[in-house]
Order: sequence, then structure tokens, then C-alpha cells
Amino acid sequence: MSRPVGWTAALLACLAFFAALVGLPFWWVLTGSVKLPQEIIARVPTMIPHSFTLQHYQKLFSASDYPVYLVNSLIVAAVSTMFTLLLALPAAYAFFRLRFPGRALFYRTILLAYAFPSIVVLIPLFGLFAKVGLVDRLPALILVNVAFALPFAIWMLRSFLAGIPKEIEEAALMDGASLLAILRHVMIPLIAPGIASVGIYAFISAWTEYVFASVLILSDAKRTLPVGFSGIIGQYQIDWGLLLAGASVAIIPVVALFALIGRGFVSGLTEGAVK
Amino acid sequence: MPQSPALAFAFVAPALLFLAAILGWPLVQALALSMQDVRVIGSPGAFVGTANYERILAAPEFWRAAGLSVVWVVANAVLQTALALSAALVLAEKFPGVRVARTWIIITWIVPTVVVVVIWRWLFSTSGGIINPLLVQSGLIERPVGFFATPWTAMATLIFINSWRWFPFIALMILAGLLRIPGDLYEAARIDGAGTWSRFRYVTWPLLAPTLSVLAVIGTLLSFNVFDVIWLLTAGGPAGGSRTLPVLIYETAFKGYRLSEAATISVLATVFLMVFAVIATRTLEKGEAR
Repeated sequence: MSRPVGWTAALLACLAFFAALVGLPFWWVLTGSVKLPQEIIARVPTMIPHSFTLQHYQKLFSASDYPVYLVNSLIVAAVSTMFTLLLALPAAYAFFRLRFPGRALFYRTILLAYAFPSIVVLIPLFGLFAKVGLVDRLPALILVNVAFALPFAIWMLRSFLAGIPKEIEEAALMDGASLLAILRHVMIPLIAPGIASVGIYAFISAWTEYVFASVLILSDAKRTLPVGFSGIIGQYQIDWGLLLAGASVAIIPVVALFALIGRGFVSGLTEGAVK
Repeated sequence: MPQSPALAFAFVAPALLFLAAILGWPLVQALALSMQDVRVIGSPGAFVGTANYERILAAPEFWRAAGLSVVWVVANAVLQTALALSAALVLAEKFPGVRVARTWIIITWIVPTVVVVVIWRWLFSTSGGIINPLLVQSGLIERPVGFFATPWTAMATLIFINSWRWFPFIALMILAGLLRIPGDLYEAARIDGAGTWSRFRYVTWPLLAPTLSVLAVIGTLLSFNVFDVIWLLTAGGPAGGSRTLPVLIYETAFKGYRLSEAATISVLATVFLMVFAVIATRTLEKGEAR
């Protein structure tokens, strides 16, 4: 299909606009993090760095607690992802295939979890965690992150399961496979891309969570990256080089994850949304 | 398929019990808290019935925050949807690199909020930064503007930043709706002599409208709850100019140590959202039935 020249020009202009809107901020942060301080605050911003230094990164990793925050965040996000998948997979399969009383009601109630402001449960949860000694411990954050990722995870996995042709499952049943065997050897391998998508979703939401981590964690050594890093923002006389380096490092894990399985995530997100 | 309900329950029970414990039970407790007088976490409080509700509903700060929340939600919805719809229309075209663009546009949404905050604090900064120097250079302004210095510019800047973070996510949802529209419909419209605009107006728009309205409801719920961007950039300021309801709840609970009042505000906010969600879903269902 050929397009008129004017149309192509308009498309190109729109593409350039969105590429700039999304890409330029990241470009300026990444390049800013390797500029010398005087170039960072220069009156005339430079597109391509004229200087190169790793001093901001050195300071970030030696003079601040940033590495501690980074490790805490990786632990919380990885463990949260694992538990989200462990809980969501059987639940999604049950909601998709199995019959039990209250199925529709339970499913709708789970989706309702999106309709209330999460900050509502913050105050009572703090009291609850204080009673069982979970305040100021990373498992508290894992519990919260799993709870917030779970409804979406169940919803998305269910729509992935719905995309599997019924014949495949029936054929396995005819061969005398048990329900668990079907789930393990047929369904799970077939929705592997869906599982990856949900995993990314759970990882990202845990990786970026700020509010609960700021209230439930009290000691500096247990802070996650969003909270610890926001502390660095305020604690120094604004040191842009340090902040830009910190921002760049915080981008790396999600970008790496996304480079590996990002394409599946996007198609999973969009396919899950329309069913 | 032959199967016992017991097995099904074994599958769903872990997830359900977990959600009940971490989300459901605290929700009930928030309700109880709102009818007591508790100030600091853990301290006992007397039952006060609806006294908190009467006080909050009479407080001007509450209504101011509620008003700002409405401004926040509506402005975000308009800006986000406009950006998302145009981005989705571009991404629905075929061009070299379209798959890469579809994947990486969402980068604004996958980085931590605190990174978004650093990025835009830096770009909008008055010392160095990018936007002020560019504006000064181009002669639009004489000296750097403090974007976060006055209530209205702070709110507008925050809305822009939040929409920037969320529009790619919405764009991908819209894109999914766009890609479902059968190509033959466009072909038929073209044969009938429809131009680009009428193809959009009479084919794309009617078929996309249901997706857009569902997204409007979800988007409203999501953006109402946004707290961290606002808190980290302006902390609700200046002069309370960006103190939306979530910010007010957080301040009341953790800066003012009035837990019960915070719980009351959050229960009221939940009721507002639920009423909105129910009305919106009903309207959508009616629209579909027509």
C-alpha cells in the first residue's frame, strides 16, 4: 500500500515528536551523568557531552548507601515476582477452567482491588505488621508488592489461558493426563510468554514502589532504591551529577530485563487488555 | 471436565486468602479506625461514631484537596488520552522499526517514579537544567522560570510529568484496540472514496470508542491514586497548590499524626471512587447494549 507524500511527511513528523518526547529526557540524563559538573550546569546545554568523567558514579558507589538500596530493591523485586507467579498461576487456571461455587463473585471482587486507593490500607497494614514484628523488614514489602501485583497477574494469566485452543487441552485429557499434569506439562509451557509478561509486570511494580517502602521501612540499611534514592536527593546540596548517575543506574535493571523479554511483555499487555 | 470443587478451592484459596489478609482485612480496619479517635499508630482510641466524618466533611482543606484531585484526574485524562491516541495512531502504521518503537515507547512507565522525578527536576531546573536554558536562548523568556514555584504552574507541570509517564501505557492499550479493526473495513471505505479523515471519523472512531471509554475509567482510578510523583516533586506545595487527596491522607497520617482522620479521608475517597466506578461501568454497559 503506497501512501501520499504528505501523509508520509506527517507520519515522520509525529514519529520525530514522540521519539523526542520519550527519548530526549533519557538521553539528557544518561549523557549528563558523564559530564563534568561545570558542563552539567552550563548556561547552554550540550546535546553531546564535551567532557567525560566517571566521578559521579564513583561517588555514588563509594560515598553513598546507593549500592545497599540497589541490592535491597533487587531482593524485594525478585522474591515478589516469584511469589506473585506462584499464587497467580493456579488461581488464574481455576478461574479460567474449573467450576466452583462463588467463582464469578470472587473474580469480580479481586478486580475491585484496583478501585480503591492503595493508601487506604497503608495505615492499618502498618499496625498489623507492627503486631507481628514485620515493620522495618524486607518481607513486609514483599507481602505488600505481591498483594498489589496479584489481581492484575491473575487477570492477565487468565486471558493468556483463554488464548490456548481448547483442542490441545482436550487431547491431553483423552490421553488420560491428570489435571495437574495438564497444567504442568501442557498449559504452563504454552503460556510461557504470558508468564514472562506477568513476571515483568510484578518485577516493575515492586521495583518502582515508593509509598509503602517509605513508611514500612525505618532503618537506612533496609531502604529500597526509590526511597533511599529520594533521600539522597534531599540530603546533599543538590549534586546533579550524582543524581543523574543514580537515575541512570536505576534504569539499567529494568531496561536489561525489558531488552530480554520486552517484546513479549508489550504484546501480552495489549492482548490481555482486549479480551 | 470432571473435577471436584475441593480441587478448585485448593487452587484459588492461597491467592484469595493472601489478598484477604493483606488488602481485605486492612480495608475493614480502616473503616473501624475512621470511627475511633486514634492519633499515633498502636495507641488505643475511643469510639467516636461519625464525629470524624462530620469534622472532615466540614473542613475546607478536605474540599480543596478533593477539588484539586478532580482537576488532577480530568487534566491527566485529557492530556494522557490525547497523547496516547496520537501515539497509537502512529504506531498502528507500518514503518521500518515499528516493532522496536512499540516495545520501547513504554520505557517512561517501567523506570521507577523516583527516576522520573530526578529526570524532570533536572530538565525543569532553574540552575542548569535543559528547558530553562533552551527557553532563554530562544528568547521566549528573559530569565529561568521556577516551574514548581507557584501553585498553578506546579500543578500544570506535575500533570505534564504524570501524563508523560503514563501515556505510552495507554497508547499500547489503544493500539491493541486499533489492530483489532479489520483491514477490509478501511479498504471498503477507501473504495467508497473516503479520505483519511473520514476513514478515521467513520471507521476507526466508532470501533475504538468502547476501548477508549474502558481506558478512561481505568485511567481515572489509576491517576487518582498517584502519590509519589507529587510527593517527591512538590510535597503537595507550594501553598497546598498540589495537595490532592492522597497527599492529604499521607500528610494527615504521617506528618500530622491524626491516623483516624486520615482513615476517614481515605474511606471517603474510596466511596467517591466506587460511586464513580459503578456509574461509569453502568453507563458503559448501557452504551454497549444500545
